[in-house]
Amino acid sequence: MVDLKVSFAGSKPPLGGWLPAVSLTDRQAAILNAAADELIPGGDGFPAPSEVDVLSFVTRYVTPSGQEPKWFPFLGEDDFKARLDKLGEGFVRASSTQRVAVLGGLERDEPEFFGHLRDVVYYAYYSRPEVVHAMNRVLRAARDYRTSPLPYGYSDVMADWDDELLGRVRGSYQRTADVRRVDVPAHLGKAGV
Amino acid sequence: MAAYTETDVLVIGAGAGGAAMSKRLSDDGIKVVCLEQGDWLHPMDHPHFYDGWELERHRAWSWHANVRMFPEDYPTTGNTEPMMMNGVGGSTLHYAGAWPRFKPVDFRKGTEHGVEGTIDWPISYEELEPFYAINDAEIGVARRTGDPGNPPRPEGWGPANRGGKVGHKMGRGFDKLGWHWWPADNAILTKPKDARLPCNDCGFCLGGCPRHAIASTDVTYWPRALRNGVDLRTNARVERINAKHGRATGATYIDRITGARHEVRADIVVVAANSIGTPRLLLMSAQEGHPDGLANSNGLVGTHLMFHSWSFEDFWFDEPLEGFKGPEPAVLYSQQFYDTDTSRGFVNGFSLQVGTALGAANSALGTNTGNITPWGARHREFFNSHFGRHALIYVQGEDLPVRTNRVTLDPEVTDSSGLPAPHVHYDLHENDRQLIEWGRRRAREAADAAGGVIDTASTGIGGIDGPPPGWHIMGTCRMGNTPEDSVTNKWNQTWDVPNLFITDASSLTTGAAVNPTSTLQAVAVRCAEYIKRRHGDIRTQTRTPGNADAPGF
Repeated sequence: MVDLKVSFAGSKPPLGGWLPAVSLTDRQAAILNAAADELIPGGDGFPAPSEVDVLSFVTRYVTPSGQEPKWFPFLGEDDFKARLDKLGEGFVRASSTQRVAVLGGLERDEPEFFGHLRDVVYYAYYSRPEVVHAMNRVLRAARDYRTSPLPYGYSDVMADWDDELLGRVRGSYQRTADVRRVDVPAHLGKAGV
Repeated sequence: MAAYTETDVLVIGAGAGGAAMSKRLSDDGIKVVCLEQGDWLHPMDHPHFYDGWELERHRAWSWHANVRMFPEDYPTTGNTEPMMMNGVGGSTLHYAGAWPRFKPVDFRKGTEHGVEGTIDWPISYEELEPFYAINDAEIGVARRTGDPGNPPRPEGWGPANRGGKVGHKMGRGFDKLGWHWWPADNAILTKPKDARLPCNDCGFCLGGCPRHAIASTDVTYWPRALRNGVDLRTNARVERINAKHGRATGATYIDRITGARHEVRADIVVVAANSIGTPRLLLMSAQEGHPDGLANSNGLVGTHLMFHSWSFEDFWFDEPLEGFKGPEPAVLYSQQFYDTDTSRGFVNGFSLQVGTALGAANSALGTNTGNITPWGARHREFFNSHFGRHALIYVQGEDLPVRTNRVTLDPEVTDSSGLPAPHVHYDLHENDRQLIEWGRRRAREAADAAGGVIDTASTGIGGIDGPPPGWHIMGTCRMGNTPEDSVTNKWNQTWDVPNLFITDASSLTTGAAVNPTSTLQAVAVRCAEYIKRRHGDIRTQTRTPGNADAPGF
């Protein structure tokens, strides 16, 4: 019997991640920063991930040791740290080309872990105020974009409908009593209730 | 059993149907107890103020119970992951508030084609219309009147949500093709109502709304139902509906906090636990006189499950559209291809609905269709050319009510109370596959007509990031015309048990090609009105009257 009682009986994932966040050693932090900088290179008016503290976001969403990492991004503290340690100091000292090759290998050989790492770095990076400010400056489509939906929203910069355009709309409907039988395509046939 | 409570009406489920029922009955002084296995949601439970607001959609705000795994949830097994929520508000806690009505033709699909398990509703659109109007007024719909493609609708509580650049661009595309389109009705306030704030176009609706602009029933019906004196019991997981001598006598529930069992005895029982929870509960309630489950002597409980057939079509354009602004549900819809035209090779039709896109991280991760911004050297160019230049067109088709698409009990899997999980089996009918593939091409035509498409991606049917067919859950205890073709009569009264009613989307006879909540609540309001006016008759009935014999209003 597959008993899901345990999974469905526990607590809820904490909103905003776990506090205090998982603590990384300086070396582990440097490795994670180096990886993030290769996933989303800075430049063209955008900061690098290591410059905007993606670590504080990512480490909030790594499940602390002793708990099952059953919610997205499915990264458990012990395994996550072990993976960073495996990349090692060499990853930090490597050239960008070498780091990209290592990450490419990770993507190929351990696609599930790589996907979770990439996704949480994307979420972290694009949540940073400095990145949103860069988007406001650089991207015409993002000049109004804010770091979070609330409290402000976008009512002050929201376009309304074009009445002239709506005045041209045509359409029709039948009353219920006017519905009639259609010829049913032979391949569909019919079935009983 | 330590004790029991007696009441006039027991309502099971505090979501769309149960809340409407509880409030309307209590308006007239009818004594109501409502049992809800979840709890209240606090405004700060919403992710809108957090820097991880986009990520949270994959955790506590996942729409799949098997991903979310809240203590109040129950697992599902089978070949699909249905989208639902448990708590005061039910799945309205987690909907975007799209508020179309079914069209009249939807009530006569049996007459129109009768393919597969399709039957006519026992009522017409025109009979249901007054209850749509009552419900719209209760929840505070945002609407622009004048859609020539639908019967006239009353003025909304406020004007339609603004369409923004996405709405304007796609509206021009539909106009260029000469296709019908109209600003969407939404259950989202555009002016204040009660203690609820109007929408401020923040763009994130599928995580609920801390402003209470979206009409989830915890902020619409429940405050007034509680003032009326309804006894709403949260964390109360119903184990079984009890019956004796062919009539429901109440229910036994488990207090999820203490584990204690309690009994509520009632003259009338109303089940509104959603189209998976309701058949699950009826099947769990097998007992003496009802060996195959309650209200299931004809074997139809759980059958004819409908989800809507569906695909997401993402389009990116060469100009800013700023889809992170404005309401997340459809800003507009086209029903140009709603009615059956068999020259297309299938029956039924679909809506094309235009939606928006959340924020930067969602854009980087591929929006709705997994078109992920590559990592590394190509990241910046791709992201910069895609962010804020997107419009979603989703193809929402009416799926056929296939009898073998159904909810059963899984004896191998249990919830945290030891109750069997529902097993959900659903295969899309070939008709519905053809419909969606045809509709996808129309979506592309609309985007091309709007002009400037630079990239496209699609889920196809059941692709990346949802939807498998499984967005809306409908039809597993449908209302019908005879005890042989349905579970309830036209007043939502089960054929087998005269004082047992079903008032959630289970009761929808066909699923239409639009979002169902407006219609299921209208049906619940109509049923509540029937119970109010015919309470005395129902209390003494020993058999459920046929549609022609029922006392009516």
